[in-house]
Amino acid sequence: MFERDFGALLFALHDAEVEFLVVGGLAAVLNGAPVNTYDVDVVHKRTEENINRVIPVLDGLDAIYRIQPDRRLRPSRSALLSPGHQNLITRHGPLDLLGTIGEGLGYEDLVPHSTEMLIAEGIGVRVLNLELLIEIKEKLGGEKDRAMLPLLRRTLDEKSRKGTTSS
Amino acid sequence: MDTLAEWGTDLGRYAIFMTPAKQALIEYSEDGVDLTLIRWMLSLTPAERLDFLQRHINRILTIRELNVRA
Repeated sequence: MFERDFGALLFALHDAEVEFLVVGGLAAVLNGAPVNTYDVDVVHKRTEENINRVIPVLDGLDAIYRIQPDRRLRPSRSALLSPGHQNLITRHGPLDLLGTIGEGLGYEDLVPHSTEMLIAEGIGVRVLNLELLIEIKEKLGGEKDRAMLPLLRRTLDEKSRKGTTSS
Repeated sequence: MDTLAEWGTDLGRYAIFMTPAKQALIEYSEDGVDLTLIRWMLSLTPAERLDFLQRHINRILTIRELNVRA
């Protein structure tokens, strides 16, 4: 079994100065929603410079595609530059590197809808806000995403009530 | 009313007329979401939420693995 260490995955990306933001279930949890998730979903900036920083991190994490793990396929530079999804397994658990989410939203589109959150002493990562996370799941979500929506909406309500929408 | 969820639904309907202190006592939303769990999560820092999720998921995976072996 791969022991999940979501923090280690995020620290590795952060330490290499990869430009990325956390989306999906982990973004929901970091925003305070009591949901479970088994992987880390991030949207990375799709520039040559950023991909130059991503590739060594993936090598260090021993990242390979989850589909057909026996073939030990590693994501190519062109795949990482594409808007597609790279569903990987690493030594710290599953990591999905997403070129875009929702209706073609990339890193630059999402940054204005994100907040930097401290996940450890001195380590801040950008996390997609609940508002847009809900909007994306409403528009495109499958059954699993829709089931999560009431929890996300009520979390947003509670945050608004407390006046803590940013953390 | 038989269940906490039903109590929550009933209280939620009148939440607009309540003081903040009374609103805080509502335990379930109209759609049956446990608000106490959300409030507890919101009382944590993002780092604590990450730590809780990680430990929780690893416990679930350990239990799953033990049951596959059994």
